Amino acid sequence: MKKALIIGIDGVPYSLLRTYIENDTMPNLKKILSQGYSLHQMNASIPDISSVSWTSFNTGVNPGEHGIYGFTDLKPNSYSLCFPNSKDIKAPTFWEILGKTDHKTSTLFQKYDPKLSHPLRSSILNVPHTYPASSMNGILVSGFVAIDLKKAVFPESAYNYLRSINYLIDVEAEKAREDKMTFMKSIFECFEIRKKAISHFFAEESWDLFFACITETDRLHHFFFDASNDKENPYDEPFLRFYVELDKFIKYLYEQFLKRESEKGFFMILSDHGFAPVKKEVYINRFLEEKGFLVLKNEGNFYERVENKTKAFNLDPCRIYIHGKDSYPRGTVRKEEKAALLEEIKKALRTLKGENGDEVIDKIFEKEEIYHGPHTHLAPDLVCLPKDGYDLKGTLEKKEIFGQNIFTGMHTWHDAFCILPEYIAFSKKPSIENLTDYIIQYYTQ
Amino acid sequence: MDHLTRLENKSIYIIREAYYQFKNIAMLWSVGKDSTTLLCLCRKAFFGHIPFPIIHIDTSYKFPEMYQFRDERAKEWNLNLLIAMNEEKLKGGMGPGQGSKLDCCNELKTNALKSVIKKYHLKAILLGIRRDEHGIRAKERYFSPRDSQFKWDYENQPAELWDQYQSMVEEEEHFRIHPILHFTEFDIWNYVKREELPIVPLYFSKNGKRFRSIGCVPCCSPIDSNAQTIDEIVEEIRISKTSERSGRAQDKENIYTMQKLRALGYM
Repeated sequence: MKKALIIGIDGVPYSLLRTYIENDTMPNLKKILSQGYSLHQMNASIPDISSVSWTSFNTGVNPGEHGIYGFTDLKPNSYSLCFPNSKDIKAPTFWEILGKTDHKTSTLFQKYDPKLSHPLRSSILNVPHTYPASSMNGILVSGFVAIDLKKAVFPESAYNYLRSINYLIDVEAEKAREDKMTFMKSIFECFEIRKKAISHFFAEESWDLFFACITETDRLHHFFFDASNDKENPYDEPFLRFYVELDKFIKYLYEQFLKRESEKGFFMILSDHGFAPVKKEVYINRFLEEKGFLVLKNEGNFYERVENKTKAFNLDPCRIYIHGKDSYPRGTVRKEEKAALLEEIKKALRTLKGENGDEVIDKIFEKEEIYHGPHTHLAPDLVCLPKDGYDLKGTLEKKEIFGQNIFTGMHTWHDAFCILPEYIAFSKKPSIENLTDYIIQYYTQ
Repeated sequence: MDHLTRLENKSIYIIREAYYQFKNIAMLWSVGKDSTTLLCLCRKAFFGHIPFPIIHIDTSYKFPEMYQFRDERAKEWNLNLLIAMNEEKLKGGMGPGQGSKLDCCNELKTNALKSVIKKYHLKAILLGIRRDEHGIRAKERYFSPRDSQFKWDYENQPAELWDQYQSMVEEEEHFRIHPILHFTEFDIWNYVKREELPIVPLYFSKNGKRFRSIGCVPCCSPIDSNAQTIDEIVEEIRISKTSERSGRAQDKENIYTMQKLRALGYM
């Protein structure tokens, strides 16, 4: 029987992991790598946000095909903010393809469905953007942003178990503002309960594929990334200790996996994006306002404030939408004006400079350059990636372009990682949505 | 006794019991259909002269029709109307456009209520909540104690069996009393109809839309409806498959989602 174990580690950068492997902070991972696995640097999705990146991995297709572009969106032809969830994903996930449970289709589905002779059972734990949990072949416990545990779990028997151990969906990141030390402790507590739940389902459930995400790393990095290579930092010790604990847990799962099957199964580890220290937050909407592209009124919630004079606005982190006449109630930009306007905005964005005159924006893409598929029309017109250190933000509430927040780490696109069996080699740097194919392929060989 | 009369009797009993036990009480009036029904029940309970103040928590964001309705009724019914506002926060610009909706509600409603309870040393307040409004309200009691922090310890509530209510209060606590807890939305409209109660015109259809529940302008959205009379509303509610709270439950989930996203800097 073929078995696969996938460990997702949210927001762990390739460069940091490499350092920790080389300097023996993570000796167990080093040992695993020597047993037929290789570590690769990988690109996240664009934008490099967990909901988009994990959905790209889960479906094995790009946002143009799965339809998820961020944590927030506007409802069609309106200014009301909404929060896309698992129900908005337009393509089947790999566990839905393997389980033969979903009626959606995608390029990956079409490629593999005929080759999969019988449905396979999966356990999917704490993967972001899987809330609310849909019925599937196996068990699923949704990760971030899950609100109600009952709706986050399928089937109900799994819910009863999680209730009995006082399972936590996530740390309360709100608390970080009050007391960082207590918050650091809560990251460890959350990791403990996560390990307990993962180990339980690993041992007690029957599955062909097991996929669990550790998301505490992302929280650790958002608030403590400055401690990652600074011996003087007050959080240096717990930061490193977290990775030591993580290394032990990876070893535990890997060994259990080997014990479970005599045949060597498929094993991989990956992150959904990297992390870098934040120098400044950059409020793109404020920039658009100063350049005259965005006009906001004072009444209304969020994007309801967009006035008819607005030519473009930004959704987090840097998804710029043209305020088109055909797309928004107060939109004024005509189709024939769009191309010139996009050039104008791109030009303006390239002039955006930091304190030392250094560039803020690294890459600017028009949607057709990076997205393809039936849901490309939902995509932002422009997406930017910043230089490391400049964290692009979508808020409408700032009066300055640059600012500082409590966060010390920011997501990076270019520095995610994956650990894969040695037989998999890439001619160019892989992107997260390229990996899914190898998982399904394994079951069809 | 018919159904509505039974509901009415129970409510009036609770209102009188509350006044007898606490004396220093007040009623919260949002001007919506439920608390206006409660207000009319209070008038009935005391033969037209309510012996305690009526508090309106004014966020300043209510519909103009609501202010008009409030002031006209207050005059007509000779109410001792207390208007509570969190003026400090309003001066600071607090509103749904600034910060999260949750913060806005918390400051302009909860904190305004806290200070009015403190100011008038109120021992209990009457509220027009109904058991069918929201899942969590299924756990509500008619007499519901809150501590000084406003916390509701719903796992440690007195039992209310055979209509015996635990209505004694400890120091530092106040009671929330829910005389219309047993009414459903459908009952409310039938009662409004039977008693010919006045109601804010926002509930009636205008241009194919009406409000099923009302509050602050920025946070309310109308539903599609052609119901222009009480009879038509009663009929609409009777056949309606979506619950009054279906939109609200989603709202609540959205508020938490927003909070989680904000905490990590995604909004």
